[in-house]
Amino acid sequence: MATHEEITESLMVFTENYNKNERLKIMNKDWNRIVVVQATDVESLHTLTLVDGVVSLKEGKANNPDLTVISDSETLADIFYGDITPTGPYNNGTLRIIGSEDDIIRLDFISLMIWGE
Amino acid sequence: MKRVVSVSLGSARRDHRVQVELLGEPFEIARRGTDGDFDRAVGLLKELDGKVDAIGLGGIDVFLFVRQKRFAIQDGLRLMESVKITPVVDGSGLKNTLEREVVRILARETNLIKKGTKVLMVSSVDRFGMAEALSELGCDVTFGDLIFTAGIPYPIKTVEELEEIANKILPEIAKMPFHMIYPTGKKQESQDEAKVQKFAGYYQDAEVIAGDFHLIRRFMPSGLKGQTILTNTTTPEDIAFLKEKGVGTLVTTTPVYGGRSFGTNVMEAALVAVLGKPWAEITPDDYLELLERLNFRPRVLNL
Repeated sequence: MATHEEITESLMVFTENYNKNERLKIMNKDWNRIVVVQATDVESLHTLTLVDGVVSLKEGKANNPDLTVISDSETLADIFYGDITPTGPYNNGTLRIIGSEDDIIRLDFISLMIWGE
Repeated sequence: MKRVVSVSLGSARRDHRVQVELLGEPFEIARRGTDGDFDRAVGLLKELDGKVDAIGLGGIDVFLFVRQKRFAIQDGLRLMESVKITPVVDGSGLKNTLEREVVRILARETNLIKKGTKVLMVSSVDRFGMAEALSELGCDVTFGDLIFTAGIPYPIKTVEELEEIANKILPEIAKMPFHMIYPTGKKQESQDEAKVQKFAGYYQDAEVIAGDFHLIRRFMPSGLKGQTILTNTTTPEDIAFLKEKGVGTLVTTTPVYGGRSFGTNVMEAALVAVLGKPWAEITPDDYLELLERLNFRPRVLNL
């Protein structure tokens, strides 16, 4: 089990890597979205906000998110640290994402563009 | 008579059956759609296994080739592995040879494709041979994989960038449920209106729109100005649709039987049945030689 602080740290790493990637920022200029990240086994809520291609991170939950990413703390930390891709946990049900199918696919592509080999 | 069947995840409304002669041998070629129902497709494949000469898998890719690398779509593999006896192909082997050749023929014999022609490939990782051939000719190609598969308005402009991005994302994308990355079943009969509007400019700016027909159709806006479509599977209804949208010329890479062009998977299955050797042993040269003997030519239709 990961702690809230570890999830926060993983999301900071994700945010930093995303914002360092100029190509990703260009790709997502049209995609203003609010993404809530919620752990199921520890008290931990975060909000990623994408505006004009740039992502920012806040602790806590935003109202009316476009996407909600839900999983156990360990899986969330693993995904945002880039130790695992979201595809496996998504396919086996460990990771749930609430939102439109188009947004889910796009989020998946973004994480692969950051961490993919 | 040899029997070749294409089992497709696409709509059953496109089902078709014809009898043709290939190199003096009679063939019955049929297409059977399963409306996006994966289990129905597996059931049909098992039923046909051992009873026909070759099977094509339609509406889904099994293998994507990016230069020397091969990526396997997991859902496609599951379908392929449900067949134990009959040779089964997805068309990727033929695409890699036939479609390169078609681009060269069009460049040599028509004015449709030349250096500087603006080409939109709605998806290119499923037909890397065509993508490479267009680039080698000096066409101004926009690879629309991210645009039309992921909704990301980022036109990829070089084969090198396409390859770099493909190597990053394909190993994982191949594990996703296929319906998330490609229109299957009833989705093939409708358009994604939001994306039609959002991405219309890519179609309007192109002189040639190339790639998988279901993707081309799903995002095609109205008011085109005589563009050329380079694809494979079309029916008379598809041709009427293209005409209505303002398309000027349709080029299909596979031959026309009974008023429609069949998918590459069907044609590859037919070639495998003609060659009569295991698919794993068939080389691109085998296909090229056979295509030459069969005098396979692209069909150019002015609409």
